[in-house]
Amino acid sequence: MIAYSLDWNNVAVASLSAFFGVNAMYYAIAAIGLNVQFGYAGLLNFGQAGFMACGAYALGMTSHYFGISLWWGILLGVVYAVGLGLIMGIPTLRLRADYLAIVTIALAEVVRLTVRSVSFKTYYNGSDGINGFAEEFRQVTPFNQSGRYELSPFADSVSTGGAIALWVAFVLTALLFGMMTAQKLKSRKSWPLVPVWLASAAAYLGLLLAISTKLIYPGLQFKSITVGWVIVAILGWLVWLLMRSPWGRVLKGIREDEEAVRSLGKSVYSYKMQALILGGVIATFAGMMLSLDRGSVQPDNYSRDVTFFVLTALVLGGAAKVSGSIVGPMLFWGVLAFTDVFLNELYKAWGNNISIFGIELIASPSQIGQFQQMLVGAMLILLMVFRPQGLFGNRKEMALDGR
Amino acid sequence: MNRRLTQLVLALLAALTVLGLVSSPANALADLSFKVRVQDQTKDDNGKSSKTPVPGVTITVLDEAGAVVVQGVTDAQGEVLLLIGPRGNYTVVLDESTLPEGFALTEQTPAERAVIGEDSRTDTITINYFTGKASRASIGWWSQMAQRLADGARLGLILAMCSVGLSLIFGTTGLTNFAHGELVTMGAMVAYLLSVTWNFMPLLVAIPIAVVIGGLLGLGFDGVVFGPLRKRKIGLVSQLVVSVGLSILLKNFVLSRFGGRTKQFTDYNQQTNIKLGPIGITPRDLITSIVSLVVLLLVAVTLTKSRIGKATRAVSDNPDLASSTGIDSQKIIRIVWFVGGALAALGGIFRGLDEGLTAFMGSDLIFLMFAGITLGGLGSAYGALVGGFIVGLFVEVSTLGFPIFPEGWPRPLSYLHDGVPTELKNVPALLALVVILLVRPQGILGQKERVG
Repeated sequence: MIAYSLDWNNVAVASLSAFFGVNAMYYAIAAIGLNVQFGYAGLLNFGQAGFMACGAYALGMTSHYFGISLWWGILLGVVYAVGLGLIMGIPTLRLRADYLAIVTIALAEVVRLTVRSVSFKTYYNGSDGINGFAEEFRQVTPFNQSGRYELSPFADSVSTGGAIALWVAFVLTALLFGMMTAQKLKSRKSWPLVPVWLASAAAYLGLLLAISTKLIYPGLQFKSITVGWVIVAILGWLVWLLMRSPWGRVLKGIREDEEAVRSLGKSVYSYKMQALILGGVIATFAGMMLSLDRGSVQPDNYSRDVTFFVLTALVLGGAAKVSGSIVGPMLFWGVLAFTDVFLNELYKAWGNNISIFGIELIASPSQIGQFQQMLVGAMLILLMVFRPQGLFGNRKEMALDGR
Repeated sequence: MNRRLTQLVLALLAALTVLGLVSSPANALADLSFKVRVQDQTKDDNGKSSKTPVPGVTITVLDEAGAVVVQGVTDAQGEVLLLIGPRGNYTVVLDESTLPEGFALTEQTPAERAVIGEDSRTDTITINYFTGKASRASIGWWSQMAQRLADGARLGLILAMCSVGLSLIFGTTGLTNFAHGELVTMGAMVAYLLSVTWNFMPLLVAIPIAVVIGGLLGLGFDGVVFGPLRKRKIGLVSQLVVSVGLSILLKNFVLSRFGGRTKQFTDYNQQTNIKLGPIGITPRDLITSIVSLVVLLLVAVTLTKSRIGKATRAVSDNPDLASSTGIDSQKIIRIVWFVGGALAALGGIFRGLDEGLTAFMGSDLIFLMFAGITLGGLGSAYGALVGGFIVGLFVEVSTLGFPIFPEGWPRPLSYLHDGVPTELKNVPALLALVVILLVRPQGILGQKERVG
């Protein structure tokens, strides 16, 4: 047997590509929705996977059951999400926070059990899921479906126009990030703004260029990635605007002190319901983007673990911050992809086994996935205990309390 | 005292973890083979099914490209062992024309099945096909109902046992513990480890030991995770999210050590039903039900009569007031965690005897446990007993329709007449949870609380 040596380039490409990949994209959409509920309104929605399933199945049913155009699916998904939100919210939003958690998780499970059942196969096609409805979305694409896309201006496969576009995008991003850093630094110490700005922008540009050589995506995914991140940007911007509005301030007030808001004459119940439904409707887009990318709807993609993963990603980034809900999923999937590929490479390199001090840690590829999930669990515990505000959040905003 | 106890629990947990790690099953990458089994499921008068092998059925295995890999015919045991070769994904097809006259495959086992053997941990994958005779003997509705009630009572007792701890922990500390299902799983797995994997002792000896270890695990949850969080005054919602993380961590730990397949205890595994009037029940299930009932009655009596029980209820009622009357509420909380963990372990073992052991057995039950304690009243111990029992009954009884409703309504209304399909039997209980909260949020035995 030839000794297999660990391929670091493979590890780097996989983990860096995951930052902007499909998984990070649809998790970001779901996390933006969860952030409205959990981050801003303090609602413990554990049924985000149910809302995502609403979107995915609405798209799938357009061809499987209704025989109408895919685009009607968007409307249908929103209708489903509003319905599910009402069922979840009406009995629980007057009660303590944990009731909502129990009911949302239970109803998301009801959704999953129903769509995967043999009894409702005519509508949802059971555990096989619904396939082949996404052609309407996939066919319209400027990208070569069987090609590979590298996102580096230096890559051979990138045309001159593409390289210019990438340069412009990189420089603008670096300038934006540089400005944010410079302002943060200035507020702490009295450093001059412009030189710090330019220096940090240059550093960011260098980082982007270095990372970009490792960003490689298959052409088939490239459209959903592009469309998805545009949706993330639009939704993120809308939520940011909304949370600066009077409506958003009331929502944050409810999170901090429900009684105080109620004594000001606001209907807490109605605001909570609006937040729950808005977050749910946003999450349907996550389900839609996932199913459009895969070209199929699978009931087990919407298990309760998905909700918890989205929650972990959100807490990692920082709840009650739009930036947290977008960067959190990117980092989350970056870490997951890194452990996945790294452990797989290590597994192969060490002769199909990973043991430390004679204790067999991983003896088969399926254990790598389980190890990853254990990591997610540990991450959620450690974050909640030691850094509940995540990477970007404000500790004062995350002083959650149910009683 | 507290510190020493915590250290002890930590040491025990560490020992258990290492033991679990060492017990990791070895991985052999031999050729894959499929064992296909075709059985006829006939329900007797009581709705209990018995299985008889179906010989002479042709089975074909296709690879991903659709080419035939191997073909075989079932023997007198209704089984055929097919050597497949390298690991991969295959399709198994049963030739329905070779089934005996009047036999048809059940809805749950279609003729064509995709088998994902890519990273199968075992070398032999068993594939089951079930047939039913075209016409089935009709069973009286009342005897069916009696059987469902008996099955439901059994599930209800197990649920009640698992949820007492969940409810008392909520009552005394305010924590909604989503990792309680993992106490159920791990208790059952410890018994499995002791009696089957290591074969140290018969199951009957392993059960009390596993129950004690389950209690210590509960103490460990408190000593290592939730106790310190309480001391640091971390919010209850944050603690809830931590318990979710703990649940993910432990579930996958168990999954990676024990694998994804359903395991069976070797003792008391194959048993035939005995008849109690219209009800068929195995001696094992009868005994576990009686033991559960006795244990639950003991819990109820302890809570009502003993000093510790009264103190527990006092802390559950109002922790501050209880502390000011001189009750050591931290000690009570530790006792509650220990008892809760022990009862969850016992419930898990009984559930495992009944349905087999998987890494998901606890987290699948936790929905029903929550439904039960919500119905009974969050935080009330008696409520958990009553609520769990009712939910168990409800789950089983909902699979039986009521003939007073007219036939032929559109789904899901038709379920009133036909009964809910087994695959959806948890759904009515979960929907009932929503209705309870709508009508009586404090549950049957809970106290009314001013909200909203």
